[in-house]
Amino acid sequence: MKKWLSLLLTVAMAVSLLTACGGGGGADAPKVAGADGSSLPAYHTLKVGEDYTDLTAELRIISHRTDLINDGTFAKYAEQFNALYPNIKLNFEGITNYADDMTARISSDDWGDICMVPTTIALPDLGGYFLGLCQVSDIAADYNFASNRAFDGIVYGIPSTGNAQGIVYNSKVLKAAGYSYEDGTLPKTPDAFMQMLKDIKAKTDAIPLYTNFAAGWTMGAWDAYLGGCATADPDWMNITMPQTHDVFADKGDGTGAYAVYKILYDAVKEGLVEPSVTASDWEGCKPMINNGEIGTMVLGSWAVIQMQEAGPNAADIGYMPFPITQPDGKQYASAGADYCFGVNKNCSDDNAIAAMLFIKWFTESSNFAYDQGGVPVLKSQAYPETLKAFDGIALIEDTPAPTELATLQPDVNRESELSLNADNTHVQRVVEAAVNGKETYDDIIAEWNERWNAAVDEYAPK
Amino acid sequence: MGEPQATAVAERPKLTFIQKCKTRRGQQIICTIAFLVIPLLLLFVFTYLPFFKMVQFSFYDRDYLKVRKFVGLKNYLDVFSRDDCFQALKLSLYYMVGSAVQIALALLFATILSFKVRGSKFFRGALYFPCLICGIAVGFIFKFFLNPGFVLDTLLGWVGVTGTPNWLETEVVNNIVLVACSLWKYIGQNIVLFIGAIASVDPVLYEAADLDGANAWQRFKSIILPSIRTIVVLNLILSVSGALSAFEMPYVVTNGAFGTSTYFVVMNKLAHTDMKVGLASAMAVVLLALILIVTVAQKLVEKYMDYLENRPRDYGVKEAAE
Repeated sequence: MKKWLSLLLTVAMAVSLLTACGGGGGADAPKVAGADGSSLPAYHTLKVGEDYTDLTAELRIISHRTDLINDGTFAKYAEQFNALYPNIKLNFEGITNYADDMTARISSDDWGDICMVPTTIALPDLGGYFLGLCQVSDIAADYNFASNRAFDGIVYGIPSTGNAQGIVYNSKVLKAAGYSYEDGTLPKTPDAFMQMLKDIKAKTDAIPLYTNFAAGWTMGAWDAYLGGCATADPDWMNITMPQTHDVFADKGDGTGAYAVYKILYDAVKEGLVEPSVTASDWEGCKPMINNGEIGTMVLGSWAVIQMQEAGPNAADIGYMPFPITQPDGKQYASAGADYCFGVNKNCSDDNAIAAMLFIKWFTESSNFAYDQGGVPVLKSQAYPETLKAFDGIALIEDTPAPTELATLQPDVNRESELSLNADNTHVQRVVEAAVNGKETYDDIIAEWNERWNAAVDEYAPK
Repeated sequence: MGEPQATAVAERPKLTFIQKCKTRRGQQIICTIAFLVIPLLLLFVFTYLPFFKMVQFSFYDRDYLKVRKFVGLKNYLDVFSRDDCFQALKLSLYYMVGSAVQIALALLFATILSFKVRGSKFFRGALYFPCLICGIAVGFIFKFFLNPGFVLDTLLGWVGVTGTPNWLETEVVNNIVLVACSLWKYIGQNIVLFIGAIASVDPVLYEAADLDGANAWQRFKSIILPSIRTIVVLNLILSVSGALSAFEMPYVVTNGAFGTSTYFVVMNKLAHTDMKVGLASAMAVVLLALILIVTVAQKLVEKYMDYLENRPRDYGVKEAAE
């Protein structure tokens, strides 16, 4: 009896799983909206507020921003969206440990309709889980980071907001030292930046540059400037760098990796950082910069909102491009998409259309990126107040390596034991050398080059 | 299970396997096997299998997911030719000196606390307490304790000591400080073991020694130390292997910065951030070999001491007989 009951239950569950996602369980061939034979319109052809206004659907949206779900921010967006689409019901669900939990859940077909595409899913596998929304070329002219979650020219994810790489600063401290965005006096070269740090030290009581050495991972932030900021070349990080010798060598014009870490080395050497780097404290630095006890910190734009919320002086926190100017006289900034919205490949046509409408409305009309202090998703959208210094600065997004070179960068990176963007030991070493003088900056660079060259020789195609 | 039962079994007709299992003897055998098999299986699956796998990994160039190729002894050659691995082993000398100090201090405390001392229960508890705190927490405690301008400097300032070095950034000093932290954390374990061993010494010996007019040091040297020598050697072996594999303190307090990167910290970075699993496995095997060598050496020394000790004792007996 018990056996029959459990068998019955199993069968019932299996059937409901299969039917819940109409048309699901297909082959692994990607399903692309707007392609030949597809019953779905392509993402870019949808007109939000005009098309499908009487569509009825209920969407489950899974997000990593538990904070915004809990404080009702998402509910407010849903209200605005329902003014246009009253019959599309939006249910938000937040996951705290997002990357791990979502990766596990996505293996079932029935996880929901929209989620933030986990970066743990390799680009070639995206088509197995997510609906292709349109071709990259359809939206590349209007969208930043259009190819962030794309493979084979098909877009699987639309960025929710973007991050830029620059330097967080306290504008009051900088003003007291004689620098401000309004006057156009923010430093644009490493030399000018060092001069500014010296001026901060001379004219204010603030710590010119806070290294956050003790927290460890915060040192790793320095690696994020090697690509767009230092070279203005979108191919550099994933394609050119792992095939090039002497990538850390001094280029003599204040650009490149050499210039990036040199700023850190010189700042520590000349005592323009906190008195004891091992005593730095990540949680403690937030109120300090908010209150004007710190001049600058080298962190991604995601840090801005945290520094603003750490005290009463949110308006004093600013963000500026990394002080490297390319030989063409322009500054560039590395930038990348935050999590991207993806649509479940297995949901019904109505749900898929509703999901695309919501995503399109969210990215184009909700002002989410602006509200969050992020880089706008649409090229035509305004930069938030904190990122105003980035207006007019070309954003460089790292191009993903072509399929045949997909493992080259990871291989060279780990073989060289530098583990750029993954480990902070090498950046710590720059600080250590500046503190105890056991080796010079050029010694370190020479050794890094040697290790990188050996790894390139081993893995790069001849 | 003597003779009578055996004859009883012999008289019975032949039993099937299942029936045999149901007899008292059968149940005993099953229990014995089950109680042996389960721990052995656990031991095999979670200790020996991973170990053999690790030895196997050490001959390959591999990361966590992909086996790249068989490289023979290259990983081992790398371990011996790289600067950072053996530089890191040199740091173990600090920890070995530290463990010698630790054993000596533990012996001192254990001896004192084994006799009637006021508050000995409290001190036993107090000295053992650090062992109960998680190593990571101890690391954080010391991180804040040692930072310039924090607790230690303030305390020293009160007694008029100023101009102290930066405890975590000045090389040599920072390693000594880290060793001291490890000592503070682990000494309780040694003390407890020693107190247990000292408790097993026959009190008659102390009485006899008192009658002979032995002072505390003589009593310690001639009664306590020889009686608990096995435990002391065991502790020495444990401390030396602990010294070679020091990890928590340098990892948490300084993150291996400013020349405090021990063998384990280097190994951890190679295995987990640089994904050189093969090389890290080879490092682990080399470390195991080193620990084995040290252990065998200590055992040999112990044997030699046994030999030395037995000779005078025979001599003493003869002398007494005469």
